[in-house]
Amino acid sequence: MLLLIVFVPLTGAFTLPIAGRVSDRLRNLLALGFVLISLVLTAAISMPVFSGETVTSAAIFNNVYNFVLYADGLAVFMAFVSALISAIIIFYSFGYISHYENQNEYYLMVVLFFGGMMGLVFSGNLIFLYLFWEITAITSWRLIGFFREKQHVLRADKAFMVTMFGSVLMLVGFISIYQQTGSFELAAIKSALGTGHLSNLAAALILAGILSKSATLPLHTWLPDAGVAPSPVTALLHAALLVKIGVYVFARLFVATFTVDEFWHTAVPVIAAVSALVSAGAAMVDTDLKRIIAYSTVSQIGFIFLGLSIGNEIGVAGALLYIMMHGLAKGGLFLCAGIVEQNTKIKDITKLGGLIKTMPITAVSFLLCAFSVMGIPPFGGFFSKYMVIAGAVQSGHLWISLTFLVGAFLTIIYLLRVFNMVFLGEVRFAGVKEGSAVMVISVAVLAVLSLAGGILIYWPCQFVLSTIQQLPGIVK
Amino acid sequence: MLSLFVLLPFLAIVMLNLPLKTVTRQLALWFGIALSAGQVFVVIFQPDVFWNGTDLLGRFFTLRLQADNLSMVMLLSIGIVTFAAILVGRQTIADSRLRFNFMNLVLLSLIGMNGTVLLTDLFSLYIFIEVVAISSFILIAFQRDLNALEGAFKYIILSAVATVLMLLSVSVLLMAAGDTSFSSVAAAVKNSSSSHFVRFAIGIFICGLFIKGGLVPFHGWLPAAYSMAPAAVSVLLAGIVTKVSGIYALIRLSTSVFGPDSSLNAVLMIAGAVSIVIGALAATGQSDFKRMLAYSSISQVGYIILALGCGTKLALVGAVFHLFNHSIFKSLLFVNSAAVEQQTGTSDMDKMGGLGSRMPYTNATSLIAFLSTAGVPPLAGFWSKLIIVIALWQSGYYIYAFIAILSSIITLGYLLSMQRRVFFGILSDKLQAVREAGFGIVFPACVLAAITVGVGLSFPFIFNSFIIPIGAFLK
Repeated sequence: MLLLIVFVPLTGAFTLPIAGRVSDRLRNLLALGFVLISLVLTAAISMPVFSGETVTSAAIFNNVYNFVLYADGLAVFMAFVSALISAIIIFYSFGYISHYENQNEYYLMVVLFFGGMMGLVFSGNLIFLYLFWEITAITSWRLIGFFREKQHVLRADKAFMVTMFGSVLMLVGFISIYQQTGSFELAAIKSALGTGHLSNLAAALILAGILSKSATLPLHTWLPDAGVAPSPVTALLHAALLVKIGVYVFARLFVATFTVDEFWHTAVPVIAAVSALVSAGAAMVDTDLKRIIAYSTVSQIGFIFLGLSIGNEIGVAGALLYIMMHGLAKGGLFLCAGIVEQNTKIKDITKLGGLIKTMPITAVSFLLCAFSVMGIPPFGGFFSKYMVIAGAVQSGHLWISLTFLVGAFLTIIYLLRVFNMVFLGEVRFAGVKEGSAVMVISVAVLAVLSLAGGILIYWPCQFVLSTIQQLPGIVK
Repeated sequence: MLSLFVLLPFLAIVMLNLPLKTVTRQLALWFGIALSAGQVFVVIFQPDVFWNGTDLLGRFFTLRLQADNLSMVMLLSIGIVTFAAILVGRQTIADSRLRFNFMNLVLLSLIGMNGTVLLTDLFSLYIFIEVVAISSFILIAFQRDLNALEGAFKYIILSAVATVLMLLSVSVLLMAAGDTSFSSVAAAVKNSSSSHFVRFAIGIFICGLFIKGGLVPFHGWLPAAYSMAPAAVSVLLAGIVTKVSGIYALIRLSTSVFGPDSSLNAVLMIAGAVSIVIGALAATGQSDFKRMLAYSSISQVGYIILALGCGTKLALVGAVFHLFNHSIFKSLLFVNSAAVEQQTGTSDMDKMGGLGSRMPYTNATSLIAFLSTAGVPPLAGFWSKLIIVIALWQSGYYIYAFIAILSSIITLGYLLSMQRRVFFGILSDKLQAVREAGFGIVFPACVLAAITVGVGLSFPFIFNSFIIPIGAFLK
């Protein structure tokens, strides 16, 4: 079952260019189908997992490179959220990408990326975790450079190199864990470490990889630049999946598997706080629609790191909820930006205005998603933000909590500014239409999910709380 | 029947040059293909008759040949790369007379390489390395224009220095050991390890091999030779010739003849690390496709030598595995450069761009090759680098491990810029007419790419059964 979740999209991706030769429609449906299969299977696997079991499937080669897939609550939660958002984004792509060349490559890369993500989430061996990590890096490199212009390709190269820089450091960290424990398998590492904690060198190296992938200060610069990608790609990479990889690996390693030195419980929140503030500041002054949302992502990732790194129950629960709520809402924002960009051909917010008249559904969806990111009750984003900050206060990090409150306040300002400049005010253009039905439905679904996630907070909360029971690293 | 590895190509050359030129010209190509494919076959399927049958022919010769796991890996790489080079040669060399000469020289080179990896005698090793070198000189100068002659001339001069150094060393060691077989030289080295005379001999032999293998600071000839040679010859040279005559000999001699020796290992590690960094940095500044690949070769060879210097069993396994992987993905990159050069008429990357849409197979295989070179999983190059870094880390060489792994970022950087300038991007108007290269180039490219992907994906399966046993050549 786990093997199917991972290998249906991974191998299926390579059939897409062939299907594309037969018919575009077949290829699109297949792409969506592969993701939906993973989604359904993940949902199916969640039943036993949430009653407290774990599911493992492994290919044992009797060496350190055993291929182990392992599903606990954390993995299933992450996989479910990723698959859900990916499915919506691929659906949106049907409308968006149909105007461009190289569609076969696009679907190949998106589904391959998704498969890599699923593999990473369920991976129980550090080497394979790294392997899937790089698959996501290669595919996002091709996706960012999708439009082939020199500037775009350069930025794609930059994104690849920055994340690769982080990831090779992380690989060295893994090797030093191997040196310390004699295994790359998470379960074996856990028992070998016992009550001892991970060496600080290994922790620092792995953290470098995580920060580069999650675009946290000081390795965040590739993310705003990567906004040149097609909008569904930016939504996929920046909002829903790629940046969450780092966060997930942080949760997987530092919360679920190892205990780390006390030092990191202070250092990581500080890095996160600086990252949240600086990027919020950058979002205030930038004028490119997608760059603002991208900076906002950098800032919001800081909140997730805060929740995970303080490590108490409410903080981690909040952070996991945050992954879900932020993915939904930020995905929605990027997709709305895609509609605006495609129909007006402008990304500079100072040149836009009054679009609420011509594209009302997009505008309302944007606003709803923005409310969720800001953390306005009763949207989903409110609960997650509240829990993360409550967790930080509870653990005694008062100053850091205050910094994050400022960050949250800035979020409200810059998102309202964007909404104001793009959708309100004078109508600057004539003849701008609403996006195609497929695209508008996708953003509306994301907006509704963001709202529903808040109103029906009981269910996701149950999801998350049962996940937390399986994590040993929680500070009680 | 090990002697067949040397004798069959020799017989082929003799037959091809019988006075029946019209027939033999047609046959030359098929002889080469059959021999190289046959070599791959006997190594992979290990037919018992071949490896254990009584070597009747060999009795007439005094060569003492021996095939251990290291030789097997080398024979496999030689077979694969020669096969690819012959196919590329068929496609890129238009004149049938020249093509015939090319085939003869490739067969000569095959004799030299097979001999080198099977021999157990220092002096014969030297002879066969020279056989390889002579065929390479002529192959590089094949087109007889000024550039080609320059490349060949540089190679001849530095190679002559290497020849003198190695010959001198052999004569000194002959005095010390009374015999030049590996076992007696090894015994003599062990007994007189403090003798300055012997140490000097070892030192200059190693220097000679550094020149042959193109390691920094003896790498001056390599970029010129690789980039000036005809496309098919670059594939052969970069893929296997320097690896056999320089790197294989270094591995063999430093592990079982001159060493293991801690000061020798320290020298190897420094040379390896310097080659990695200098090669990678020099490659970043190149705008000629083949020159960039040549510098990249220097850098990758550095990894092999660095691991060799580390000296643990795991490190040597990593070194040999990387040698194999490197010969596959570097030949693949040179095959791709041949395709691009043939179709666009230039190897200047600044004049290209957007070729990916016109040459889909070349684009895809080049993508695989460069990701493998940069050590990106799940391709083969990742696993060999991983083994090397793990081995370095386990032996406590943390700094070297960091150098090795951070250089792969530089590697990624220049290869990304290559991919961007050649294949990615928007097609310029001048290049609208470009088409995919012919079958003779696309087919070997696909085969080599399939090997890289296949080895990479199946690595965990074959780790216990094929990769670790490579280390058995260590006594």
